[in-house]
Amino acid sequence: MIDENLLWLLSSYRTSEISGALFFGQLARRLKPGAIQMDMTAHFADEAQHARYWTDCIAELGAQPLKLDASYQDKYLAAAGLPANLMEILAITQVFEKRVIRQYASHVSVPGLLPEIARTFDRILQDEKWHVRWVGDALQSLAADYGADEIARTLDRYREADEAVYRATLEEHQQRLAALDWTRR
Amino acid sequence: MPAESTPPAADDELLEAMARQLGLPPGSVRADQRLADLVPSSFSLVELLIELQEQHGIRLVQDDLRALVTAGDLAALVRSKQR
Repeated sequence: MIDENLLWLLSSYRTSEISGALFFGQLARRLKPGAIQMDMTAHFADEAQHARYWTDCIAELGAQPLKLDASYQDKYLAAAGLPANLMEILAITQVFEKRVIRQYASHVSVPGLLPEIARTFDRILQDEKWHVRWVGDALQSLAADYGADEIARTLDRYREADEAVYRATLEEHQQRLAALDWTRR
Repeated sequence: MPAESTPPAADDELLEAMARQLGLPPGSVRADQRLADLVPSSFSLVELLIELQEQHGIRLVQDDLRALVTAGDLAALVRSKQR
């Protein structure tokens, strides 16, 4: 059986992937057909798969996922303000996906990473890199409509919010990660 | 003719559209209802905003959202952007 900190972390990843899948699935349903809708459809399918991978991983480790109230994304929206249009949604997604990659990378670097977890990260991280790439391309494609300066300002605004959420919320993630790392004790 | 007449038909149509998008029964969204009571989460509100923009060919920005409290406020905002 895995320890409480590890179960909480894996469950939080799973909750976050489920929230992402549901949100982008709903958005993909509402957007007009086109390149952004196509990539968003692939994106939400990835996130749903990632939730499945974490569910399977937790099961392989002999546990059941915890039911966590709020996903990281909920806290993000509270701190950054609601995105009001497609460009703002893509901007907050870009910043968020980069944060996810950093968070996952910091977990991967914890000594003694269990093979079940390492395999799950391997499967997910390639997709996450593609998420950053397609969202970046989509933002560039919107520059003519929204203005490159406005997109840059929006990204800056969400980066500031990201730092605030990271300090306030991910501190718990870091503490739980540190608790997994016996070499830091 | 009242000095400040409102186009109730246009607002009713938007309130009906909101009810549909939120999966609520027809006629169940009133102008004075708080958006916070209508949408189950922030994500749902963002989805509603995107749907309204896609349907009405308008664009909202974050500043537009600051004064939004009720469903009527949102209907009025959409109407003002359509002008």
